[in-house]
Amino acid sequence: MRDNAVLAGSLKFLALGDIMQLLGANSSSGVLRLISRYAPEPGFIYFENGNPVNASCGTAIGLEAVYALFGWTDGEFEFTKENIVSQRVITKSRMGIILEGLKMVDDGQVKRVGPGAPSRKSATATDSDAIPIVKGPLVDYMYVADEEDFFDGEYIVEEGKHGSWIWVILEGVVEIVRETPEGPLPIVRLGDGSFIGSLSSFLIQGHIRTATAIAVGNVQLGVLDSQRLAQEFASLTPEFRGFLVSLDKRLKQLNERAIELRQKQLDTSDFLDNKKPVMKQGNVEEELYVIREGSASVVRQEDFGRIPLAQLYAGDFFGHTPFLDFGHEPESASVMATKELKVRKVDVAQFQKEYNQLSTTFKNFIDNVATCVSVSTKVVCNYYKKFGLGK
Amino acid sequence: MAIFNLKKREIECKVVYYGPGRCGKTTNLEYIFSSYKKQVKGEMVSINTEGDRTLFFDFLPIGLGQIKGCDVRVQLYTVPGQVKYSSTRKLVLRGVDGIVFVADSLEVRREKNMLSLKDLQANLKEYGKSIFKVPLVMQYNKRDLAEQGIPLMSIEQMEKDLNRQLKVPSFQGSAVSGEGVGATLKECLKLTLQSLQREFKWAQ
Repeated sequence: MRDNAVLAGSLKFLALGDIMQLLGANSSSGVLRLISRYAPEPGFIYFENGNPVNASCGTAIGLEAVYALFGWTDGEFEFTKENIVSQRVITKSRMGIILEGLKMVDDGQVKRVGPGAPSRKSATATDSDAIPIVKGPLVDYMYVADEEDFFDGEYIVEEGKHGSWIWVILEGVVEIVRETPEGPLPIVRLGDGSFIGSLSSFLIQGHIRTATAIAVGNVQLGVLDSQRLAQEFASLTPEFRGFLVSLDKRLKQLNERAIELRQKQLDTSDFLDNKKPVMKQGNVEEELYVIREGSASVVRQEDFGRIPLAQLYAGDFFGHTPFLDFGHEPESASVMATKELKVRKVDVAQFQKEYNQLSTTFKNFIDNVATCVSVSTKVVCNYYKKFGLGK
Repeated sequence: MAIFNLKKREIECKVVYYGPGRCGKTTNLEYIFSSYKKQVKGEMVSINTEGDRTLFFDFLPIGLGQIKGCDVRVQLYTVPGQVKYSSTRKLVLRGVDGIVFVADSLEVRREKNMLSLKDLQANLKEYGKSIFKVPLVMQYNKRDLAEQGIPLMSIEQMEKDLNRQLKVPSFQGSAVSGEGVGATLKECLKLTLQSLQREFKWAQ
């Protein structure tokens, strides 16, 4: 946080409409800065005496930018008190902007930027081929043991090689690529604050890399004290460790789905046949379950079809996770299973407690995995829409 | 929850017009906007939402006095009824201080009225408010249509349908001609300010 910020917080708690009313009632002048893990660049709104006068969001400016920012449901904001020299581009009244902005979000005219928000009336302008960027929270330097620089195009890790180092991106963009018979397929791009490396590297010595990471432009990485992180991981309860591994598996599977779709080899029968929903997308669900026997599948319902996301087996978790948002069930995906499924309820409060006690870096790491799950899901859905099943 | 603006020495409170689509919420507000020009502050914001329009403007009630030496400014809103406008509804209904429920007197709209009232109760509950406690006034709108031979529900029936449990003040209205519009608003403002006064006394 910059030191002259006078108001800061989470957009999840205080939405843009509320912030604008607050600044309006206070007749504040200054800059409101919004950051989201799901947007490559921050958004800015300039206020003069409580009224928005200009804004920018990506390439958009003015009123268009303000409306786009209403779609940011997850992220952080900070307001800095400043005298505004920016030209008055926006003349519409504050309440008019707020009501219009919210209406545009509800109507689907403005894209929702946040975890797993299903694309309603899917914005036509978005390029389904564009690889989204995942950003992480501010880096905690306590865990950065060393810094390393990579040049454009350089390989940071290679799929199939051994290695258990974990990096955090201090500056720059890294592309994660999977090898396929038809050549490398980009899965996701990671930006500042994101992590390179997987949770499963804590489990096995000489862990095999499951994807390739390539620097896009010059990149500065922080080498994390992986021993310290591994120790922290080992000190967790077996059940919580199981949960983290299960989350990591989901991410791997989503990458598999993307590859299968790209090669038109996705077989949905394993996911859907003879299965009934045990948790329906959009339903309110308070519990978290672990599978004892049988298997289940996670499926996202969109206008254009049912998209299989992941298979869950014994030891995997599903349900409501209060401390993590990875854009799957129960809000944004269903869980389907046959009658053979046997589950056990998990003590969510205990999980929450354990999560709260984690170090900042470890928390960031897990949050980053969750964000990657949510973004990879979007990639899978886009591929599904673009390539179909092909069978 | 009314907002105290210490800079302007003002208390800002929110009154929302609720009701089924096309019941005349918007017409109510438009009538107020054009007939009470002196008390209206600023422009009217009008957003075209599917099936209905969403309106907003600031209103200064005259003759209702001050609270603790602060002027009272009322924000008048209509709220879009369609399920999909949840973001707008959330913003409008959060911290609402008083509600006018506009019911449609047309016989064919009987069920729509009841569903909308139920919906209001559910929405208020989501923001931690009870429909029995929030200052609420009913308006049975479109009474003028009887002259044109359109079948309307009797006032007794509407009272029974909508107001049997609530027992809130109710008015007959014809928003197109302005009949009952002022009385409805005045009663709602009275209840709202009384309820605010009570809250502040309790806080002392």
